[in-house]
Amino acid sequence: MNELIPLMVIVPLMAALLISAFSRFNTVTKIFAFVVAICLPIIPIASNYGLHYFGGYEPMLDNVTNVMFHPAITYSFTFLQQIFIAMVGLLTFLVIFIYLTEYKEVSGPYLFLLFLGTAAVTAMLLTDDIFHMFVFFEILALAQVGIVAASSISYSNEMALKYMILGSIGSPMMLLGIGFLLAMTGSVNITDIAAAVHNGLVDITSPVFLMSLALIFFGWLYASGLPPFHTIKSGIYSKAEPHGAALLQSFTVISMISIVLVMFRIYSTLPIFEVLIVFFSILAMILGVSLALTQTDFRRMIGFLAVGELGFIGLGIGLGTQYSITAGLFQALNEITITALLFIGFGAIVNATNEVDTRKLGGLLAYHPKVSIMLLIGGLAMAGVPPLSGFQSKLMLVQASLSCGYPEISILAIVVSIATFVVFVKTYYSMFLKPKPEDLDVEHKEVPRAMIFAMGILLIIVIAFGVYPDVVTDGIANFVGGIL
Amino acid sequence: MAEVQLIILMTSVALVIIGLYSAIFIDNIIKKIIGISFIEEGANLFIVAIGYKAGGVVPILMPNMDTSWFASNAAYPLPFGLVLTSIVIGASTLAVMLALVMVLYKKYGTLSTKVMLADTSKQEEYNE
Amino acid sequence: MLELVLGIVIILSAILALIQKDLLKAAILTGFCGGAMAVLFQILLAPDVALTQAIVGAAIVPVFIALAVKKTQREDS
Repeated sequence: MNELIPLMVIVPLMAALLISAFSRFNTVTKIFAFVVAICLPIIPIASNYGLHYFGGYEPMLDNVTNVMFHPAITYSFTFLQQIFIAMVGLLTFLVIFIYLTEYKEVSGPYLFLLFLGTAAVTAMLLTDDIFHMFVFFEILALAQVGIVAASSISYSNEMALKYMILGSIGSPMMLLGIGFLLAMTGSVNITDIAAAVHNGLVDITSPVFLMSLALIFFGWLYASGLPPFHTIKSGIYSKAEPHGAALLQSFTVISMISIVLVMFRIYSTLPIFEVLIVFFSILAMILGVSLALTQTDFRRMIGFLAVGELGFIGLGIGLGTQYSITAGLFQALNEITITALLFIGFGAIVNATNEVDTRKLGGLLAYHPKVSIMLLIGGLAMAGVPPLSGFQSKLMLVQASLSCGYPEISILAIVVSIATFVVFVKTYYSMFLKPKPEDLDVEHKEVPRAMIFAMGILLIIVIAFGVYPDVVTDGIANFVGGIL
Repeated sequence: MAEVQLIILMTSVALVIIGLYSAIFIDNIIKKIIGISFIEEGANLFIVAIGYKAGGVVPILMPNMDTSWFASNAAYPLPFGLVLTSIVIGASTLAVMLALVMVLYKKYGTLSTKVMLADTSKQEEYNE
Repeated sequence: MLELVLGIVIILSAILALIQKDLLKAAILTGFCGGAMAVLFQILLAPDVALTQAIVGAAIVPVFIALAVKKTQREDS
């Protein structure tokens, strides 16, 4: 059933276009969006592994140089892609479900942006063509800007414009880097480029090759919100609607891992590549946690914590062994679920109190017991408390850095985890446990049931991955063995 | 005839530098956006220059052409196809940015970046 | 030597567009830059790209900028 592979991109893309065209019919739009959203996690699970060549152009053997080359845009679908696409599909379904139940009149353009973003990250994960990835990278940036600009939070337009300006500096840089690679190898297919680099057809010490690494690396830093872009990234999380932010952080994580895997396949022979990734990841871990400590707006706090967690993913990939890359990818999967859970949970609190300053909140445990317990478990999972999923991936990362011979990095990772725990418990205390301030009027508003439902499902995934990590890590380790 | 490619590369590098300068140092937001579009155009020009072949022909196969002669003389068409996409992407990004600027102008009444995009966290504290 | 002339035209119009006080003139000079680039693409054996660039770079982008200038303000103060 390899015909299902392109459908993973086509279905959300077509749904986005149809919804924005027929958004006048409110009920039809709602039903259609719901049906498509249910399909999103089902398609990758039902599909078989394999390759899809667009236009049916199979790879050909060049008789002169005796090298295989790929004339068509190729989608490769393995266990890694399956698990990540299914996770994003599930998250999109939950977010759209929350959105549809929250508003009577749904906005077609907003649903368009949500589906467009999902289609873009799916294509970035699947594709084996670096220019194809760049195109969807741009589409993703537009969708993210739209999601931020559509929110009703004040100063969201300013933040969207800032992100867009930085983005339109970052993406031509990445395009130039792709141009350098194209000039050296004459191809945009990643498998072909990697083969040319590993067979010695390209001089890997030439300045052009290093320049292409620098330019694509700059684009990657922008896409993943590592320093120096960590402030703007946490800013856009705090300016989007809570359910939008839950989806935005999953887009960030997936664009980060899909670009870094491409860079790893091409540049892994350069020793400086791994040093660069580890350097920026450690910077992100330290800056993310220390900036999160100083925030009083709890949405911004979660934004900075999410940036800090991205550092762990980069660390795993930068260490460069099979075990560490597996750990980094597993951490990416956990971060998507945990951060989405936290964003949705804190969004429910914003809904109920209209207040985002932790100094003015307090005593909410009595009013929203379900939400607060789920948030506590989510926060503990993010900090790495056993037996939750964050613990398993962080343990793997610490073991990986020890076995690579860098005990300093593992100590740093543990310290950052403890700092994450401190930040979260401090915020949790001042929001839920501390006595209620006099002037805070908690409206007796129910938290929407859809939000509780979404948090419950994400919580089940967090606990399941924590108890049975082998279900995922075995498959990821096989994939990593294939690209090393 | 490598001269043509050299001139093109110099032009594209100059465009990228002009664009980066304006994106960082110019205060007016519309000029900043114009500068950003120059970066995009410089990148496009560079990629088209990759496909150029000195003394070559346009990569369109006419009925009366000899195929082997065509294969050894035509320019490399893959970069041209890529640039087509990226020109359109650049125009749409520009349109979205200008739309956001128009919305923000109604709020602030000025095009100065220092006023419009001041640090948003400070703005919030100021409002409180 | 057409490509040299065109390169100079592109760079000059780009610099001039950025130092204009009148934003409408800046929009028109952006169109000059895009149009010269379209001719340059034709010299580089890419007629299809030249057609697209002639429409997008010389007509659509300046019109977008001019519309934005019309809705906001014309002077760069």
